[in-house]
Amino acid sequence: MEPISQAEKQLTRKSSAPGFGQFIRAVSAIIWKDLAAELRSRELLSAMLVFALLVILIFNFALELDASTRAAVTAGVLWVTFAFAGTLGLNRSMAMEKDRGCLDGLLLAPVDRSAIYFGKAVGNLIFMLIVEAIVLPVYSVLYSVNLFNPGLLLVILLGSIGYVAVGTLLSSMAVQTRTRDVLLPVLLFPLVIPILIAAVKGSTGFLQGVDSVDIRPWINLLLVYDVIFIAASFMVFDYIVEE
Amino acid sequence: MINTLLLQAPAETTRYLVAGYTVIFGIMFLYIISLIVRTRNLKRQLELLKELDLE
Amino acid sequence: MESKPRMLVILDVITSLLFLTAVGMVFFYAPLEAVMGQVQRVFYFHVANAWVGMLGFMVAAISGIAYLRKGDRKWDIVGLSAIEISFVFFFTAIVSGSIWARGSWGTWWTWDPRLTTAAICELVYAAYFLLRQGIEDPDRRARFGAVYAILSFISVPLTFISIRIFRTIHPVIIGAGGSGAEGSFDMSPRMLHTFIFSLITFSIIFADLLWHRIRLGKLAEEAENLRLKTLQ
Repeated sequence: MEPISQAEKQLTRKSSAPGFGQFIRAVSAIIWKDLAAELRSRELLSAMLVFALLVILIFNFALELDASTRAAVTAGVLWVTFAFAGTLGLNRSMAMEKDRGCLDGLLLAPVDRSAIYFGKAVGNLIFMLIVEAIVLPVYSVLYSVNLFNPGLLLVILLGSIGYVAVGTLLSSMAVQTRTRDVLLPVLLFPLVIPILIAAVKGSTGFLQGVDSVDIRPWINLLLVYDVIFIAASFMVFDYIVEE
Repeated sequence: MINTLLLQAPAETTRYLVAGYTVIFGIMFLYIISLIVRTRNLKRQLELLKELDLE
Repeated sequence: MESKPRMLVILDVITSLLFLTAVGMVFFYAPLEAVMGQVQRVFYFHVANAWVGMLGFMVAAISGIAYLRKGDRKWDIVGLSAIEISFVFFFTAIVSGSIWARGSWGTWWTWDPRLTTAAICELVYAAYFLLRQGIEDPDRRARFGAVYAILSFISVPLTFISIRIFRTIHPVIIGAGGSGAEGSFDMSPRMLHTFIFSLITFSIIFADLLWHRIRLGKLAEEAENLRLKTLQ
């Protein structure tokens, strides 16, 4: 309970700083709480990681990943992996919040609701990025593909941001329903199709050294999606957590 | 006359037309029926509930 | 909520007349298409159905915003009704589109942007219904439904655009017919008249059905309230 009570203390501390400073403080308190809790238990990251690696392994048997098809299919395999592992992370992250009663505690704190959204979202993003950071080298080694491509990393970052922006919001809803875990992928996947398409095409583009002119539309699409959905989620989050 | 000989006749696709419109009319019809049936059931339920309420 | 309001009766009559006229136009007024033959006539109602689908989605999103702001449960009924109707009409559009594709190009499915987006919309609706099903509290159900309707509506144009770009850069030919060939016939004036008339007719049909479905929704709410009251 340590990190949580610390966070609550930070949130309720009166400050003379303007609202924005308080907002940032609230957000970082929530992020820090999640990171600290995870550092001690490591349940979230290990689950996501093992799952991601298993998916990569399964793909080896499901698809014939010989040298020629590999180039075309790598981006797709990676993104399917990230999407599924991401769902796992989102579910667990919100479930822990609800089950430990942290969510209610956070809601009682005198802080803007959207700070909770941003805090959770950034936390989820960090976890997703950590998993991706481990999966990429593993995939590189297993399939002798060089994945250390700055363009690819950019696409993965942008895609993860959009995914987590929508995912955090939807998981906040899903966790309050009867069907919980099962519901999140059902709600999430149709909405993140633009990310999946743009991320896979963008990733493939960078991996195959395609002209940057052809990759531009995909990056733009990712940027537009991210901006729109961060804004929309931010505006709508209040309505999801009111009691 | 040579023109009409050179012109290809359009494809014989009438059965798809029939299939298509069977689906379109069919589904619309079924939906309207479902609305009617559901309304009737609800009205009946409401009557029953009102009777129970008066007791 | 007892008898049908006058306006609705009039709307019913107008809708039926428009519908019969549209059918007449499709089968007798519109000319035979030179290449595809008779199956092309499916196009008019296929697009009209898809159009209603989009209309419904838009109405649902707007109702969602209205509900979140006002908290009046009637907006939730409007949203649910709009999505139910949209679900039915999109389904019709997808199946009729598939039949049209089969008749015109020999393939049951083309992964073209419009058909694919319609299929994704159907999945979104399914998700919407599943979401509502998993919630007991009517207020929360309405709120979450509203939020999902809004978010998913925003995602649709982005989805469509992304598939569009996907298809232009990688036009994959599936089966004998080319994909993206939808709508590739030239529309003569009579075809255009029929097309536009169909769109208008179906918009009216949507309004008519929506009104009926909203009445049904209010009945359901009344029954639910009474049930909670009497079965205490």
